[in-house]
Amino acid sequence: MLQLLVGQTLNGVIVGTLYGIIALGVTLTFGITGIVNFALGEFMMIGAYVTWYLFDVAGLPFPIAIGPAVAAAALCGFAADQLLFRFTRNNLINGLLVSIGLISIIEAAALLLWTTTPKDMGYVLSGAVRLGDTSLPKMKLVVFALLAAVMFLTYAALSRTWMGRAAYAYAQNPEAAMLMGVRTEGLQSAVVVYSTALAGFGGALYATLYSLEPSMGGLYILKGVEAAILGGIGSLIGSLAGGIILGVTEAVGSIYLPSAFRDAYGLIFVVAILLYRPSGLFGAER
Amino acid sequence: MRRLIWLLGVALAASPAAAQNVLKIGQIEAQTGPNAIYGYMSSQGLALAVNEVNKAGGFKVGDKTYTIQLMASDTRGDPKEASIQLKRMLETDGVKFVFGPFLSNVFVTVEPYAKQFNGKFLMMGGATRIHDFIGTPEHDFLIRTWNWDAGPRGFGNLMVDRLLKETGAKKVAMLFQNDQGGKVLVDIYTPLFKEKGIETQLEMFEPGTKDFSAVLAKLAAGKPDYLFPSYSDAHLYDIVRQSTEGNYFRKFFLVRGSLGPGLKSKDEIDDYFVYVPKYFEQAEKTDPKVAKFIADYKAFYKRDFPYDQAPLCSSSCYDHLFMLIAAMQKAGTVDDVAKIRKELLSMTYEGLWKIRFDEKGEEIFNFDVVRLQRGGKIGVSSIDVQ
Repeated sequence: MLQLLVGQTLNGVIVGTLYGIIALGVTLTFGITGIVNFALGEFMMIGAYVTWYLFDVAGLPFPIAIGPAVAAAALCGFAADQLLFRFTRNNLINGLLVSIGLISIIEAAALLLWTTTPKDMGYVLSGAVRLGDTSLPKMKLVVFALLAAVMFLTYAALSRTWMGRAAYAYAQNPEAAMLMGVRTEGLQSAVVVYSTALAGFGGALYATLYSLEPSMGGLYILKGVEAAILGGIGSLIGSLAGGIILGVTEAVGSIYLPSAFRDAYGLIFVVAILLYRPSGLFGAER
Repeated sequence: MRRLIWLLGVALAASPAAAQNVLKIGQIEAQTGPNAIYGYMSSQGLALAVNEVNKAGGFKVGDKTYTIQLMASDTRGDPKEASIQLKRMLETDGVKFVFGPFLSNVFVTVEPYAKQFNGKFLMMGGATRIHDFIGTPEHDFLIRTWNWDAGPRGFGNLMVDRLLKETGAKKVAMLFQNDQGGKVLVDIYTPLFKEKGIETQLEMFEPGTKDFSAVLAKLAAGKPDYLFPSYSDAHLYDIVRQSTEGNYFRKFFLVRGSLGPGLKSKDEIDDYFVYVPKYFEQAEKTDPKVAKFIADYKAFYKRDFPYDQAPLCSSSCYDHLFMLIAAMQKAGTVDDVAKIRKELLSMTYEGLWKIRFDEKGEEIFNFDVVRLQRGGKIGVSSIDVQ
């Protein structure tokens, strides 16, 4: 049983980083634009399908396929920002409605392009690494390493670059940041585009592990929002931690309890944490 | 000018008479979607059969020649969508013959509505849950186009027998989706395994699950000999891949789903024991009807033949249209559904499959069992249930 527990804890950590990358996009977008972009899961789906197409159909090597996949997600994110989100800045309800509408549009387009029949991408890296009696697929370890690296690079960029510090300043006090010369319009657009690119990157890696369906984004945005709330909205490290805790709770919960209620275990954990820490595990107490 | 108007009038008056010689056939199947594996192939096969009939100038019943108008839109496996389509077919379009559905969740949703039209139309579907209704009062409209799992001639029963004989399996882990289809499989197979002294483990998973590692690890801890997973390729690709990558399972037993997931992981699996209505790769070389079907498919759709999905054409598909036409010709009518049903139930049809129905209207056809082993080695056994 101990071996099962260790194996599933590790698996939960890896799966949790996928939730974490979406949570990071959620927390960045909310901090800078004041909206929760529920359509981020759809940008993840775009990244996943473009990767599948370039790798499986066009025959490009996987590392080359990732670039256009992320670019496609970012480009769609830019279009969505300029055509829609630009008009909903700092308006939570309008932003929510626009993002929900966007989900329908992107999903309908994906249905037209690829139908709802799942696509299963070929193996990018097969085989597993054995840790004692536990086997972990090599590709899952690569996905974990890449996602964790991107999240820490994002953290470093936000804390060490002018743009990052401007974003932090704006999140804390928008008026003061504007008075200090931060170009808010450009900053907000950049954050929306970056969070969609992150989602696209998550999608590209997702495609290496699981089969794809146009509705896949819906599940992951819910996990991403759960993880962001659990970790504390506004906290980058909290996003990663929230995702990992959610992943581990689901994986370990499925061992001891019926797996038919897998999604509920993470949610119960989120509710329990929020009762004691309403601002999340790493969120600033108000 | 008057003459022209008169001619136009004659032409218009003549057109309803021409329309009477068009037989409308409906189809409610998931052509796309996570559970579309059966509906997709059914819709492909039926459209091909309709094209062949119409290309040959139609078919004769009595002294009239009929062509076929196929009304088949995609339900995407959504019961609400299927209900709307069926309502339109029966109430607006006057369709009397409906192929499908294959999905049990779709069937149980449309059944209360469909039985209001009992005696007025025929529904030829493969859904497992049709078995519970067929032969009961108010359900003469049902014909089930798939072998039943249990019973002495049941394909599931014969599959479990074969598994026991060939592998000596003592314990099987069942992993099904927590929905209508999954629950039906639990109800059928738990007693089947028990009867034959095979121990079972069971886990259900949430629809939409993508990462099965935890539940696979949990099942593997019980050390079963075989994993008996899911019923749709949408999950099977993920389950087979994650089972082998995580070293949880390398032996699989399937009664739903295709060879595809096994072939994709052929170098990682040890045994993939699967029910296949027909192993087309082999049948193409020995059966001219199968070879013709494959050639016609390629010509009609202008693409490669889907060998892994084609076996699912055994359900509500190609053969069944020709069988229905033969029944109409014997009954001498395209309208009297009771007469046509009676003829269908009394005939044996030799098409791609040798098909007949039992007294309730449930299909009996011969099938193949395919064993795919590591590296892609394939063994095929044909099972005669006639």
